[in-house]
Amino acid sequence: MIEYLVFAAAFGLLLLGLHRKVIARVQMRPGPPVWQEILHALKFSFKSTWVPKTASATLYVGVVLIGIGIWSAALFVVLAGESILILFAIYMLHKVVEHGFGLSSGSPYGKFGGVRSVISAASEIPLFVTIAAIYFFTGSLLLDDIIAYQTVHGPLLLIAPPAAIAMYLVILSKMPYGPFSIVEGKELVSGYKTEHFGVWRAGIAVIDGTKTFVLLFAFVAIFIGAVPFSLALIIMTVILVSLSFVCAVTPMLSPYDSVTVQGLITGLMLLYAGYLWWVMP
Amino acid sequence: MNMKRTTITCGLAASAIVIAIAWGLLAASLIPLWAAETAIVVAFPVLVLFLGLWWRAPGGEEDIPFIGY
Repeated sequence: MIEYLVFAAAFGLLLLGLHRKVIARVQMRPGPPVWQEILHALKFSFKSTWVPKTASATLYVGVVLIGIGIWSAALFVVLAGESILILFAIYMLHKVVEHGFGLSSGSPYGKFGGVRSVISAASEIPLFVTIAAIYFFTGSLLLDDIIAYQTVHGPLLLIAPPAAIAMYLVILSKMPYGPFSIVEGKELVSGYKTEHFGVWRAGIAVIDGTKTFVLLFAFVAIFIGAVPFSLALIIMTVILVSLSFVCAVTPMLSPYDSVTVQGLITGLMLLYAGYLWWVMP
Repeated sequence: MNMKRTTITCGLAASAIVIAIAWGLLAASLIPLWAAETAIVVAFPVLVLFLGLWWRAPGGEEDIPFIGY
């Protein structure tokens, strides 16, 4: 099982490297090599590391451990075909972790990043109304049951496209350099990550890699269904490239606009879920 | 934070041993899957951080002294 975690983190980092490459090429720049994020993780592992005097040491280190732990758990949840409610609960925990990163550091940049994490959560988490839409069709929130439903009825991507769009936006919200990436805005240096350096930053790289893998893999499982693992990796890569195009051509929104846009989409999703509740037997 | 190399080595070894034991017991069907996964979820973050710290931890002697610019 440890091999799953290592693969997920490494492949996720490779996807994030590809993300940077695609954005750069769309913007007519050469961009870094696709394995740059893996190199970053390794590089930070070798850096001198300590806890800043202004930081709350326990929280400062603890959030890195918790971040890696929750996304490791999320990977096992997806692989075991367990409830997607657990997966989204872990997503919400990640917002708490981001907040903890920012608050523990004692840096104003980190703190602003942490605060932005909370206000962005207010708009991202309601997007989980996608869960309701899925339940109306499948009658279950177990990933195994959702996959079994799609084996009989076809991909949920075609049956409930608004729900797929909502989850796509949830993933887009977590992508770096995206329109909703307000927690890492350049005016905040690196946002909530600013004061985590050295091995702590390498830990963040493992978190980001595993998180990217889990969210994309879950998207494939929830909206496309049972596919061979190699095909799932290809589909994940295609989805990521599409996300990269969105990020490349869309400026980062201001925090207010980001929450407003996501809130409007959430409103549309609620209407869709209400419509399904009305028409479904 | 300035942890000694022995402390970090102990933490690294402990996390690796927990993962190895969990993997072994699962392979021998002595524990359920969820128990092994729980052990790994706890031990894996410690392994990641302590592996990085272990690379850079002081070994009892001072590092190359700062000689100024």
